[in-house]
Amino acid sequence: MDKRNQKWRYAVGMAAGVSLLLSACGEKAKVDPALQIGANPTLPAAQDFLVPPMQVPNGVGWQGNATPKVAAGLKIEKIASGLMHPRQILVLPNQDVLVVEANGPGEEAVTTPKQVIAGMVKGKSGKSGKGGNRVTLLRKKADGSGEWEQHVYIDKLHSPFGIQLVGDTLYVANTGNIMKYRYTAGETKMSDPGVELGDLPSTVNHHWTKALLASPDGKKLYVGSGSNSNITENGMDVEYRRAAVLEVDTASGASRVFASGIRNPTGLQWEPQSGKLWAIANERDEIGADLVPDYLTSVQEKGFYGWPYSYYGQHVDHRVMPQRPDLVAKAIKPDYALGSHVAALGLLFYSGADLPQYKGGAFVSEHGSWDRSPLSGYQIVYVPFTNGMPSGAAQPVVTGFYSADEKHLYGAPVGLAQDAQGGLLFADDVGNVIWRVSSIKP
Amino acid sequence: MKAEIHSSRWSLTSAIFNVLDPIPFGLFVAGLIFDVIYAKTGNVLWIKGAAWLVTIGLLFAIIPQLINLALVWLSKSRVRSRGQVLNFWLNVVAIVAAIVNAFVHSRDAYATMPSGVVLSIVTVLAMAIGRIVLVGDNVIYKEVNHG
Repeated sequence: MDKRNQKWRYAVGMAAGVSLLLSACGEKAKVDPALQIGANPTLPAAQDFLVPPMQVPNGVGWQGNATPKVAAGLKIEKIASGLMHPRQILVLPNQDVLVVEANGPGEEAVTTPKQVIAGMVKGKSGKSGKGGNRVTLLRKKADGSGEWEQHVYIDKLHSPFGIQLVGDTLYVANTGNIMKYRYTAGETKMSDPGVELGDLPSTVNHHWTKALLASPDGKKLYVGSGSNSNITENGMDVEYRRAAVLEVDTASGASRVFASGIRNPTGLQWEPQSGKLWAIANERDEIGADLVPDYLTSVQEKGFYGWPYSYYGQHVDHRVMPQRPDLVAKAIKPDYALGSHVAALGLLFYSGADLPQYKGGAFVSEHGSWDRSPLSGYQIVYVPFTNGMPSGAAQPVVTGFYSADEKHLYGAPVGLAQDAQGGLLFADDVGNVIWRVSSIKP
Repeated sequence: MKAEIHSSRWSLTSAIFNVLDPIPFGLFVAGLIFDVIYAKTGNVLWIKGAAWLVTIGLLFAIIPQLINLALVWLSKSRVRSRGQVLNFWLNVVAIVAAIVNAFVHSRDAYATMPSGVVLSIVTVLAMAIGRIVLVGDNVIYKEVNHG
């Protein structure tokens, strides 16, 4: 082989290597999103990437009087702005509104070169804005102006997310514990210093949100505890009581794993007709723009939903070592796929009178994708329910969170709540706004 | 016949090269060892370690590889030996494999396998062969006349 020929061969090798890198970056979604909504989503074959699909719009917030778009017959208004990363909303019996403002505690150690890069990509989107680590109380002004007062209600929290009121007891789920406060109606600042009811898993905090739901009798709290990794890359020993719904006894603070294998259960609610526990969950990333769809599912006691070993029943994830065929065999397929990488972060079964077209079904807020091109999520959808089960395609209700060219991000929906008039409230942690959606009265 | 080491002219460039050039090789060898341990055990400590070794190895490779490029192809005063040229291209193979490997190592958990360990082997082998080929260039054997 002469030298010239040799050089030529290496040049081809290098060109092939470089083009492989580039092509890996250009991966676009191929499955029609509509085929990944509902009970039987289309699941293409899993892929491994050199660079996973990635598209993150630049977080810019809402300019001037810009608002999200709402479905026909609805209107939207801003009831609070200038908040610090609002995530969850609780409407109190006197119609004050509590807003939990937080972001991740930022305590996850940098243990891989990838985290350095991923942190920069996320920062661009405005999704890593500083959290307030507090609860703000909103109260409608008595002067009829339609404006709302803002009061710092509880501060110095540690990445709080879930919030529930049972009688006169207010529970707030920090990333590492559940705090219990005596609630006094009318206060604009919580007077009770609070006590810790019980601890929650708080190592690493790759997923930090702890969704909270009280049982109707107030004796139990259900906690969504997300996994400590995308797919076990931090080892299984940090996954203890993670990727699970925990059940906490409100009398003693003792807890147990109620259901497992749910990668990141970010919202929990009681389905009104069946009285069953339902959850939204965010599924695993980096095996394709069209994998794996996030989901909405009923949660069975002692049920195992696959993570990390498999998804949607018996679709094995080859990234987990060692594999567990015994657990894969037991894995329950979730009830309803919401779409790939939509990042469901809010769930509400609507029971109000103002939006009768949405009564009995579920609103799901989708915080929006990073591991997919084009974007997915960044909207609030409505999933109709009949006899306690989803009964149709998800319909967009609130949209318009990003620019038409997918370059700028104005807002992203998170927590959902319903007020006494039946208005739909939602927190927007990129716009730092609380929005209210209601019907246009003729 | 007797061997004698021929000393070439001292230069700062060569000194920098000699100090930096072994570092990536050592890091890539360590990376290969970590990859093999991870492939066998599934303990993520090792693959995270390997990811750093590959990445840091690449950073340390930048300066010596540029010097190598300049010495082999841009230096007018020197005559290129076959060994130098072969070593150069073997290093190109090693670096391309290591770049791809850094991306492979950014995957989660066992998605790094088996391609991670294969690319580590390619990197280490290419660099090792290059070093073996160069032996004939570094030590110049001269005929010494016993008179």
